[in-house]
Amino acid sequence: MNKSLRGTLLPVLTAFFFLALWHVLVKLSGSDLFPTPLDVAKGIQELFEKGLLLKYIVASLFRVSWGFMLAVVVGVPLGLALGWFRPAYEALNPMIQIMRPISPIAWIPVAILWFGIDDTAPVFLIFLASVFPITVSSMAAVQNMQLVYLRAAQNFGVQGSQLFRRVILPAALPQIITGIRIALGIAWLVVVAAEMIAVNSGLGYLIIDARNAGKRYDLVVAGMVMIGLIGLVLDLLVRQLEKFDEVRWGYGQR
Amino acid sequence: MKLLTATFLFGSLWLALITGMHGKLNLKWFAIRAPGVSTTEKYKIGFLPVTCHLTCPVTDFINKETTGDGIFEPVRFNGWPELKEAYLSGYTPATFILAPMAIALREQGVPIKIVYLGHRDGSAVMVHKDSKIYRMEDLRGKKVAVPNRYSNQRLLIFRALKQAGMTVKDIELVEMPPPDMPAALYSKAVDAISSGEPFMAQTELDGYGRVLWLTKDVWPNFISCVLAVHEDMIKNDRAAVQKLVDGIASSGKWLDEKMDHRMDAAQFVSKNYYNQHPRLLTFVLSKPPDRVKYTNLALRKADFEEIEELGKDAGIVTGSARFEDYTDVSFVPDESLVKPYVFEGVGKP
Repeated sequence: MNKSLRGTLLPVLTAFFFLALWHVLVKLSGSDLFPTPLDVAKGIQELFEKGLLLKYIVASLFRVSWGFMLAVVVGVPLGLALGWFRPAYEALNPMIQIMRPISPIAWIPVAILWFGIDDTAPVFLIFLASVFPITVSSMAAVQNMQLVYLRAAQNFGVQGSQLFRRVILPAALPQIITGIRIALGIAWLVVVAAEMIAVNSGLGYLIIDARNAGKRYDLVVAGMVMIGLIGLVLDLLVRQLEKFDEVRWGYGQR
Repeated sequence: MKLLTATFLFGSLWLALITGMHGKLNLKWFAIRAPGVSTTEKYKIGFLPVTCHLTCPVTDFINKETTGDGIFEPVRFNGWPELKEAYLSGYTPATFILAPMAIALREQGVPIKIVYLGHRDGSAVMVHKDSKIYRMEDLRGKKVAVPNRYSNQRLLIFRALKQAGMTVKDIELVEMPPPDMPAALYSKAVDAISSGEPFMAQTELDGYGRVLWLTKDVWPNFISCVLAVHEDMIKNDRAAVQKLVDGIASSGKWLDEKMDHRMDAAQFVSKNYYNQHPRLLTFVLSKPPDRVKYTNLALRKADFEEIEELGKDAGIVTGSARFEDYTDVSFVPDESLVKPYVFEGVGKP
């Protein structure tokens, strides 16, 4: 079998097997509360027909995009600075390591008290969830850079901002991008927690709202499925970054 | 740098696109406002999709249908902690809230005043239909779920235990969000559940829950939720508070006036506010008809003193706030003079 055919056929078969297993297990359990894959597909169709699916996807993507973008804008420069300036690292790193393991769910009360219950609070929670992995990976990227690059550049008289732009940043980029990829995964993961706040749209809200609606576990799972599928697309998009020459240069060293 | 330029361009375009779409689809940025509808900021009022808070959406809906404009903006929450925090942050100056929670907040120095009741009765204790639990005594050693430490359902259990000559040590109490309770009872993760409706009725409708007792049978005139407002709202805009209380009183009378009204409310509230199946609210509001009541909503000192006493036993209030501290009875209308809304509804679906 040729390689590319196998590359598509194998995951499709696995998914099919998983769906069949899911169906059989639900039927065996005899419960009418847990939905079969078909129920979930019907739930997604119902959401689509009501015009809610697009609305909710857009709302979640809006919150994740802004929260994540702010995290990149803050996290990457901060990480680079901390990786480069030793005293800044010593001063701030313990604080970052303390903040990093705090779940965004724990921040919900604080977020509501600070920002109320419009879109700002979920954006803040997503920012918090993704800013630390980005900062830490950028910081580590600079710290772990091969000194050979730096010395070679210095021997050629490259200094200051040029050194930073032409040597440090390119050398660190692959690792920064890995950090960004992981952080985007986390940002998207947090959408359910972030939308526990009384926003009235989004895929996370869909799940919480469906719990309220009585026996609509098909919609709960529909929300989970949509989050999973969109997460996959987001990851594929971020991986496109790795195709740029500047990034390949870094990977080529291994 | 090619990479930076490309990501910057793509990133900005994406943000502009998704923000525009979110604005259009969810925030109604580009909607044309109907002439005559006021654009002034309305007071936000917090509520949960439970029958204890039914008068909130009913008042809003009837006002919108009859005058084209609501007197406040209802904001739906999905749990007590978020609802409470939105009140504390000042986002919702008025809110439907658990009576013991309001009392406890007052004791902690929060400027909150109870101005009216939300309902009477409307809770139940449910067990699995296959279980051998038929009396309170049968719950000995069993797991019982309640919504929140500050819920009156928890106090209800304390009261029922006392009546049966038992204490809280005889059972295992667990806290759980009401929407999760039906599934917990179904899977027999807990032996009994108690929360506001319609989550109790749902287990009955789905065929695996059995009523152990309704609140009206063990604690007549039970109150769980009250209407509370921020002291500043009373100070700055008495008229608005009065309008709100009068609206709630009128829709309560309207709901209890005729079964047709209740059935109508079940339809429009499920569809427009609660996002639940209308069958569920129809069931709660009619089986039996006095499962939950919306009249006789004046603040009575004796009711609250009983809650205070039970709250002290349950360790959620200290008793440092008196009835006069946490209530403002000046807005309560004379029950006999309250007129039900004149609204014949949107008809059958």
